[in-house]
Amino acid sequence: MNPPARVRLLPHLVSGWSAALILLLEFGFFALLLAPRDGGPHTFANASNIALILKYSSIYGIAAIGAAMIIGAGGIDLAPGAVIALASVVTGDLFVGGGWPLWAACVAGVGVGIGSGALAAVLVTAASLPPFIATLGVMGITRGAAFLITEGRFYDLSARVASGMAPLGVALALWPGVIMLVLTVVFQVLMVRTALGRHILATGGNEVAARYAGVRVGRVKAFVYMSGGALAALSGVVLAVVQGQGKADVASGYELDIIAAAVVGGASLSGGRASVVGAVIGSLIFGVLRNALTQVPRGTFADRLILGVAVLVIVVMDRLATRERN
Amino acid sequence: MRIHRRSALGTHHSRLRQLASAIILSFMALSGCSKPGDESRRLRFAVIPKALHIPVFDYARTGAERTARRLGGIEILWRGPETTDEIRQKEILESFIAQRVDGIAISCLNGDLLTDAINRAVDAGIPVVTFDSDAPKSKRLAFYGVNDIEAGRALGDGLAKLLGGRGRVALITSLGADNLQKRLDGAREALARYPAINIVEVFDVRDDPVRVAEIIAAGAQRYPDLDGWLSVGGWPVFMRNALDPIDPARTKFVAFDTIPPAPDLLRAGKVQLLVGQKYFGWGEESVRLLKRIIGGDRPQEVYHYSGIDVVTRDNVDAYLAQWKQWESGAPD
Repeated sequence: MNPPARVRLLPHLVSGWSAALILLLEFGFFALLLAPRDGGPHTFANASNIALILKYSSIYGIAAIGAAMIIGAGGIDLAPGAVIALASVVTGDLFVGGGWPLWAACVAGVGVGIGSGALAAVLVTAASLPPFIATLGVMGITRGAAFLITEGRFYDLSARVASGMAPLGVALALWPGVIMLVLTVVFQVLMVRTALGRHILATGGNEVAARYAGVRVGRVKAFVYMSGGALAALSGVVLAVVQGQGKADVASGYELDIIAAAVVGGASLSGGRASVVGAVIGSLIFGVLRNALTQVPRGTFADRLILGVAVLVIVVMDRLATRERN
Repeated sequence: MRIHRRSALGTHHSRLRQLASAIILSFMALSGCSKPGDESRRLRFAVIPKALHIPVFDYARTGAERTARRLGGIEILWRGPETTDEIRQKEILESFIAQRVDGIAISCLNGDLLTDAINRAVDAGIPVVTFDSDAPKSKRLAFYGVNDIEAGRALGDGLAKLLGGRGRVALITSLGADNLQKRLDGAREALARYPAINIVEVFDVRDDPVRVAEIIAAGAQRYPDLDGWLSVGGWPVFMRNALDPIDPARTKFVAFDTIPPAPDLLRAGKVQLLVGQKYFGWGEESVRLLKRIIGGDRPQEVYHYSGIDVVTRDNVDAYLAQWKQWESGAPD
């Protein structure tokens, strides 16, 4: 007899918990390491610093939700960093240069991401290009378009966004974290409670079998690449509004950190397995590390090294666990 | 989340993850993550370069740490982005504000982007000074560095004189930084005084020494009859071979920055004029300014211009002798 839906949901939800445990251990470790000895205020474990970690992690985290779905469907996306930049530039161009209302410029920015995702989907499904090559091309096109639009300049949104702006009573600086958390819930539910979510993982697990089982693989791939593009673009739009600039060279190289966040969060690069919650927690693991290492002597010299080791150790452990389970 | 059945081994999986985290955290502890000891009684000054990989900032670090030792009771927190990542630099700056350090000195990758964070720091009672590259719209209390407009003029005038007031020239910059833009403006202004000099192109190298080598090679192909190059940053003279595609008998090269190996390139005749800054002074003067401000002596003037060193083949040996003294501790 099949367990009731609520019970079946549990394993999916807890899949991100091991990553959550790592996050908690990491936070606790740095809270102890950086605890003040003179009884003064804690420089790491305080509300404003946690808000800061959320603010900067969200740049990666929002895009990592899309990366998790794409990886789960057996693909890969190298374009998020470039899409973040292009969306920030388009939003800035329309808002500052074109005089559009902010909401309309933001919608257009996200539209750019949907467009770039659609291009990747066409290249992967219709032209049968390997996702690595297809999205490498999209990355070049989007980054190049951003530079073409700006010609090296940048759009200063901060001059037109009222200082102290607090939509719905929430300070602007807190919005990136709020958006990331809301999207995490929405896409986690989509992945675990809907047929589409199961079809995404079925496509990544065994594309041929999924096709025989009636999954419309092409549509599934189109959905994940377009969603991934939209989420990366949303990250760029949020970046432009909150940080106040649309610029072609922002987020260079972020795509690898975004993929790493998804993988640390439980996504398998061979497809069939991914966790939206895990991907966001993965980005928070990196965010805590980046933040804490600014307080550690020589920390910023070591952060790439430690991030690299963290990714390898977690993924190797995950692989060993999977092998034992199978 | 898995599409297939989860087994009871999930618990084991979880244990392995815990083991992984323990290994990572132990690694972090072993890799130099030490508690800063009884530093809390000392003044904690954060000094943030544009990026850790830009060599000129090593000397600023030396200057800052040396001055902190001389003044006593100061800890220098030297942190910066690994590469010229503006968002990462802002993240580091905001992290120091959340830590409530006693003072911040920063060389801004993008002054406008950092303005609101700098203002928040100053409003929260954390003094901020800028060095090398300013955030002119912010509330920073002081800036120490060259007058970039004048430095750019020195480069432009120097190249124009080397060319006898005529010829086709190309400019090299990295778009976005306030100081580089001012140097570019100064150079353009100086060259504009020579009607027979024509600027054929301005190249953006995005603060990347590898990219500059590529651009110089491509530019030499594109403009084989080019008479001169002018770089408002030191990227071409931070490497020994970036200028190899240029024939010095045909084409003159002037550049900003005088740190090694640039003087060797000057001696070899690959470069004809260099304009140097007070690299050690960036750190030294920033720390002095922060200490002054904390002592209640806020400077009246925001701009503290350091002056420049114009180095040619005629004075390069004297400059190198002076450099050794700076390295051994003489004030810059």
